Amino acid sequence: MRSLVSFLLLALVASVQAISSSGGNRLLVILEDVAEKDGYSKFLGDLEVPYLYKPHHLLIASTTGRGFDIAYETPKSESLSLFHLGERSYDHVLLFPTKAKGLGPNLTPNVLLEFINAEGNILLALSGSTPVPSSLVSVLLEFDIHLPTDRQGLVVDHFNYDTTSASEKHDVLLLPTPGPLRPDYKHFFSLSSSGAPDGRERAGERSGVVAFPNGIGQTLGQGPLLSPILRAPSTSYSYNPKEESEAVDDLFASGSQLSLVSAFQARNSARLTVVGSADMLSNTWFDTDVKKVGEKTSIKTLNRGFAKAVSGWTFGEIGVVRVNWVEHHLNEEGLSNASNPKIYRIKNDVTYSVSLSEYSWDKYIPFTVPANDELQLEYSMLSPFNRLKLNPTISSEDSTTYSVSFKLPDQHGIFNFLVNYKRPFLSNVFEKNTVSVRHFAHDEWPRSFVISGAWPWIAGIGVTVTGWLAFCAVWLYSAPPAKGESKKKQ
Amino acid sequence: MAPKKPATATGPATTSASTLSSSASGQIDKIALNIVQHYQKTTPQRTKLIDTFMAFLVIVGGLQFAYCVLAGNYPFNAFLSGFSATVGQFVLTASLRIQTTEANKSEFPSVSPERFVPSVLFSGQLVQAIPKRILLTFVPSHRAFADYVVGSLILHFFCINFIN
Repeated sequence: MRSLVSFLLLALVASVQAISSSGGNRLLVILEDVAEKDGYSKFLGDLEVPYLYKPHHLLIASTTGRGFDIAYETPKSESLSLFHLGERSYDHVLLFPTKAKGLGPNLTPNVLLEFINAEGNILLALSGSTPVPSSLVSVLLEFDIHLPTDRQGLVVDHFNYDTTSASEKHDVLLLPTPGPLRPDYKHFFSLSSSGAPDGRERAGERSGVVAFPNGIGQTLGQGPLLSPILRAPSTSYSYNPKEESEAVDDLFASGSQLSLVSAFQARNSARLTVVGSADMLSNTWFDTDVKKVGEKTSIKTLNRGFAKAVSGWTFGEIGVVRVNWVEHHLNEEGLSNASNPKIYRIKNDVTYSVSLSEYSWDKYIPFTVPANDELQLEYSMLSPFNRLKLNPTISSEDSTTYSVSFKLPDQHGIFNFLVNYKRPFLSNVFEKNTVSVRHFAHDEWPRSFVISGAWPWIAGIGVTVTGWLAFCAVWLYSAPPAKGESKKKQ
Repeated sequence: MAPKKPATATGPATTSASTLSSSASGQIDKIALNIVQHYQKTTPQRTKLIDTFMAFLVIVGGLQFAYCVLAGNYPFNAFLSGFSATVGQFVLTASLRIQTTEANKSEFPSVSPERFVPSVLFSGQLVQAIPKRILLTFVPSHRAFADYVVGSLILHFFCINFIN
């Protein structure tokens, strides 16, 4: 009986392990007041109590799902600590807007940076109506994400607002779901019309809108680690609602300069996402009917699916690439083809393979490179000598093997097999395997007789030797008179 | 083979006499004919044999060098060993020719057997026991040829090794 109970417990633990995100499932939600969580109950419920998406746009609560272990805290709480004995206490942090100017001693900018450095993920929800805490402003500055001065700003758009809720203020933006930043990027945030976030691309199915109510816009620096998830439309601008002048004369930023939802992925693949409007995650704007200005019919917002995609990406449920193994071997007949030898010879034929998986919500799937992109192998000593495309060769249920065969260049030394695949929204892949490459041993050069160019010279020696033998024979044959002569002289 | 012709001992006197007596183009033909006749008359059989072999080596070496110039020198070690086998053989043969020419006999006293055999290699008793035929190789012309054979074999060994 007891063993049965423990077995069931084990099975339960195993299933929880299986469905949690690739980076862990401990989520800390920080709210001004814990009671506020009711306003986000759908969003938080999606994180905690999972839902299954069915094709006929029905949301069905189910026993399997995202399974985050959520803890709620306020910034003022004294027990709040992101670290315990030098280890992270939580895997992810979700910060909702708070009214206080600072976030208290437990959430200083340093602590948040340390959390990122320790590979923790942060989802930061801001709001246009409450000033952003100054500690968050300085954290964001560290990542080159800039907020409006005075820590407050409101994004409005007089051409894309929702007529049902914001006919006066024009501060509820209705935006099409974002497409890929570039055609060769993987994109996780374009939703099908029914709102299912889907790691796969679904071209032509992008319809429907995401509501962005009462939000604050950010501008992003030039760093390669930053990428906007949702850009503001070109007709929008951000102003400070506190300034009570009739005309807006001091814009923070306008048009697509403004990023409404921005993503930062550190070099250790920790993720920080800034959502400009906390309201877009609230129950009010999940599946609400909105009517875009100039249109007659109202449509439902896709905020729920968008929130799932954004939180899923931030908490490492999608876009996480795992290197299962790396293997390289000599690819020559008649020689030992052991895996991962430490030494090669110049001009050896070598095969390099790397197996990659991608985490998709609850399981690992084979990683596929976007159509216009390439996964490349660099064979390098300081600088690359070869940069070769890795082609998918074997695909299994949860991994794809990419490999390439090539001839090592005529250069000996210490070389690296390097796969350095860093793309926006995908966790970083950096695999370096060092090998020594020696030159030819003295007995490994091709013999002259196998090089056809050398045959005339081989023949030259042959003719010389044969001629010499003939000469000696004739010399000895003509010897007797000469011998007698020399004998006489002696 | 031009350089070797003046080497014949009695050459210079005859050629200078003929240049004085004749004139212009017919003169050159006459000189050449004279030289050839003189060469054929006065050169021993073995020296003629050496000259033929050397001419053969020059042709073989020239062909190898021409191939190198036309077709490139890869693999270079093959060119080096092939060409140097021919050149080396030529040099050794030239040495043999110098040593075996009657006129140069006084130049090479060191190859004479009288001093060499008893003092270095053999005791007096042993010399008696050595067969006549072996002793014959210490006769100057024989000794020069033996040197030549040994030197050539070493050269061939090196070249075949080097061409691998």
